[in-house]
Amino acid sequence: MSEARAQAAGTESGAGFRRYLRRPEAPALAFLVLLVVVFSVLSGKFLSVTNLEAILTSVAVLGVIALAVNQVVLCGEIDISTGSMLGLCAVAGGAAAQSIGGFVLPLLAAVAVGALCGAINGTLVTLGRIPSIIVTLGMLYALRGVILLVTGGTWITGVPNESRFLGMGNVLGLSVPVIVLFGLFVVMEVAGRHSTWGRNVYAVGGNRRAARFAGLPTDRVRFSAFVLVGVFVGVASMIYMGRAGSVQTNTGTGLELQVVAAVVIGGTSISGGRGSSLAALTGAILIGVILNGLVLIGVPGIWQQAVLGALILLAVTTDVVRRRLVGDTA
Amino acid sequence: MSAATAVLKRLRFSRELVLLGVLIALIIVMSLLSPLFFTLGNMLNTSRYFVEVGLMALGMTLIIITGGIDLSVGSNLALVSVAIGFTFAAGLPLPLAILFGLVVGMAAGFFNSVFITFLDLHPLVVTLGTFALFQGLAYGLTGARAVSNFPPWFAYFGQAYLLGAVPGQLIIFVLAVGIVWIILSRTSFGRYVYAIGNNEEAARFSGVPIRRVKVAIYTGIGLLVAIAAVIYTSRVYTARGDVGLGLELDVISAVVLGGASIYGGSGTIAGTVLGVVIIAILRNGLLLAGVPSTWQLFILGVLLLVAVFINEFFRRGEE
Repeated sequence: MSEARAQAAGTESGAGFRRYLRRPEAPALAFLVLLVVVFSVLSGKFLSVTNLEAILTSVAVLGVIALAVNQVVLCGEIDISTGSMLGLCAVAGGAAAQSIGGFVLPLLAAVAVGALCGAINGTLVTLGRIPSIIVTLGMLYALRGVILLVTGGTWITGVPNESRFLGMGNVLGLSVPVIVLFGLFVVMEVAGRHSTWGRNVYAVGGNRRAARFAGLPTDRVRFSAFVLVGVFVGVASMIYMGRAGSVQTNTGTGLELQVVAAVVIGGTSISGGRGSSLAALTGAILIGVILNGLVLIGVPGIWQQAVLGALILLAVTTDVVRRRLVGDTA
Repeated sequence: MSAATAVLKRLRFSRELVLLGVLIALIIVMSLLSPLFFTLGNMLNTSRYFVEVGLMALGMTLIIITGGIDLSVGSNLALVSVAIGFTFAAGLPLPLAILFGLVVGMAAGFFNSVFITFLDLHPLVVTLGTFALFQGLAYGLTGARAVSNFPPWFAYFGQAYLLGAVPGQLIIFVLAVGIVWIILSRTSFGRYVYAIGNNEEAARFSGVPIRRVKVAIYTGIGLLVAIAAVIYTSRVYTARGDVGLGLELDVISAVVLGGASIYGGSGTIAGTVLGVVIIAILRNGLLLAGVPSTWQLFILGVLLLVAVFINEFFRRGEE
């Protein structure tokens, strides 16, 4: 029923405000602008090029993963294994950097491990027909166990500088993490709008049965979305390692929550089929701005978790209210 | 075809028996691995640790039968624990502080249910949010400090022995199992729970008060979590904001292992109790056999996946 409403809303050329409201990322974007203004007033240090670039650099890991998890959520699935997956990819990349060095091989190692993890998730969800929340919850713990087994609990340190390019590099005055984040955003935005795969993702998430009857390869689409998460996590892990210079066994703990938070705060619907890559990017930046802003206005770090939880609830509630508004006017 | 269906039906009928078989096999294997395992003292002590998970699993069974999930139970446990500890430290008499803790637990569950029923949001995303919120509140409100100067009688809830060797909380657990079993299998409320899980739309048209049932079960698990929190706080004798991390995995694993379908509509209290005991024995046995705790995480994660896979495999066979 809501799909029919949304379609009716799409064909009708309503007032500008209503059209704006129909965009899934609208509330998050508005909120982001509001927050930037508030923090700029509250703290003189906030609105500077250095601080803004620092925020974007700090959310690069989160944002890159959110862009991929966004596609999984658009499919109507979820992936909460990314925290442990990031740790494992970083361990693989870190080990490669330590023994071989260079920049390409560690990245390939990390991406390969990530893709393998994603393929396991995807296989269990599609062939095993286990709900993705259970699959990825199990993987979250199983992969953390694997990290501890592989490393024996020791840190990976002394990563050579040339292997840290993705995290430390600077090209044309811009930090590499920011370039990677926006580059992948553009790729995902274009793929989501203009590629067959991107349209399939929306179709599968909007109504899986209808998509199957229309002849779409629903299992293959969902499987590839999970593999995409693995690949992006691999890339993100090298940004992480580049910035940190070492890999700890607890790398990425709790990140899965921030990633899902970024996706839903940005405005992608958790039930699938509605959302955009811009939503995931906006959500990630919003989280970065809030965490950075809280520090600048002197809120202790122990409140971060509570703020994050409240934000998720606020975001999903806003989404419901927005949809009811749009639905009423259609 | 009909013969095959009959066999599968019998299989499902005896699911609890299969779990019982697994449990017995597990006990034999663990006894071989460690001579310390199969002693009355160790058996009874193991029960100390599964009561907290078990209480939450009872509530989680009802929630999973309706097709929902609650990821916030571990965080809620932390919130109740610090609610008791810090109101007590602030001068509230301990009985009142415990009462306050129970109210906090139920309020937290009710909070979840309001988002789930009145805003029609998926339980997964709501409880993912409150998972962070409750934990964050427990951590933030206490400034990451701990309280542990409880009076000696508080230890009764989590450390007492009855009849010489039976842990006190085992009695509470047995009582809770009885009550929840009666509610689920002998009342119209219990039938509503199954009806919602089987087909929510059909249940609505049949006049099942869906919102009221959901509010009741999410508030109910809040109460069970709060009772578990009292026992936990008493057992470790400390109230801190970072307890209960990862407990939701144990709880959900136990329920799923017990045969509840994650898609809703099926599950039993007997199955859940067996699931709880199997996981507890697995953990205890692995510990005694000297298996490092890192392996335990891995084994628990894999166990959860295997359990769900077997569940859904058999269910597909029936269709």
